[in-house]
Amino acid sequence: MILDLHTHSVRSDDGRAKVDNYCQWIRKKEIPLDGMVLTEHRQWDDTSDYRDLEDQYGLVILKASEVETDYGHVLVFGVNEDLVHSFDFARVDNPLPEVLAAAERCGAFAAPCHPGRRNVGLFAHYERKGVVDAVHTVEVLNGGSIPGEDELSVEKAAEYGYRGFGGSDSHIVSRIGFCATEFDDTITDIDSLVAALYGGRFRAVNLREPV
Amino acid sequence: MSDTEGTEPASTEVQEAKAKYVGFVFDTATFTVEQDKMLAWAESVGETDPRFTDPSHPDFQAHPTFTASLVSRRVLPEDFPKIGGPRGIDGGKAVVIQQPIRPGDQLKASATIADIYEKTGRSGTMTFIVQRMSFVNQNDEPVSMVDWKMIRNP
Repeated sequence: MILDLHTHSVRSDDGRAKVDNYCQWIRKKEIPLDGMVLTEHRQWDDTSDYRDLEDQYGLVILKASEVETDYGHVLVFGVNEDLVHSFDFARVDNPLPEVLAAAERCGAFAAPCHPGRRNVGLFAHYERKGVVDAVHTVEVLNGGSIPGEDELSVEKAAEYGYRGFGGSDSHIVSRIGFCATEFDDTITDIDSLVAALYGGRFRAVNLREPV
Repeated sequence: MSDTEGTEPASTEVQEAKAKYVGFVFDTATFTVEQDKMLAWAESVGETDPRFTDPSHPDFQAHPTFTASLVSRRVLPEDFPKIGGPRGIDGGKAVVIQQPIRPGDQLKASATIADIYEKTGRSGTMTFIVQRMSFVNQNDEPVSMVDWKMIRNP
């Protein structure tokens, strides 16, 4: 089962894609995705309901968050009431160890995204501030990466023994599915996604058409 | 050096600025909607719908984005702090259309700071300041709202 674990809709301040349009695009372009996870910036979107779209298009559509820390951006899957009150999703300088600890304590799964970005990615922060022991998984393939960034992510993830997943980081319709994550398990809801992530039964995949 | 080392704690600055400025009217302005200006704007944005380009159309009105061309005397409150860094970027305008605007309408606009927030990207931390102009017509009916994002970064 293949899911795009990193997407943004118009609910993100810099998102330009409606979820309905993502679904249409996936089906029209026959992108080999079984679903997507909406990881809206600096917020938990607890109001949007995509179940009708799931039924209409036969896709799994889940919700998560992309938060900002002092070591870069982090995707958080399995956001719940407890976690929302554990730290400020709107802040840009949440301490990474605290975010990771809060996620684990509240039954969610948190992992740094686009860690290979120059100056602002996790591994750039590692060079300046040292390693964060609580990190175990990172996004090694990101559809918005510029040449060299994903290569660095893959290299450093292997060096630190981190598991790697993939996501498109799409903000517009046409970029969904550039990168994704292939799971061994069947994912039907956020609980099964979190379980699969903790179980490590996945791998990052690049779905971009070759140039 | 970290992304924010050597600068004031931006988050504290932002929080203080939000508490002081968000939601308070800092400027007002009045505008008379002139047909010539309506037509010029519609042409400049490449509009072809006769509702916005033909004064003889029974539903002739200002283009939905017309109010984005109207500005108050002040962009920011007079004592607004220099938060977020010295470099400024125009983040664009978003327009909410509430009612058609007709030639001859007398619009009253009030300017507020709608939001101040930070986000980090490839260039580091950016501070977003959203100025909102809310327009009512001569009947005090809301007609349009324009949010203008101004971005500051180090």
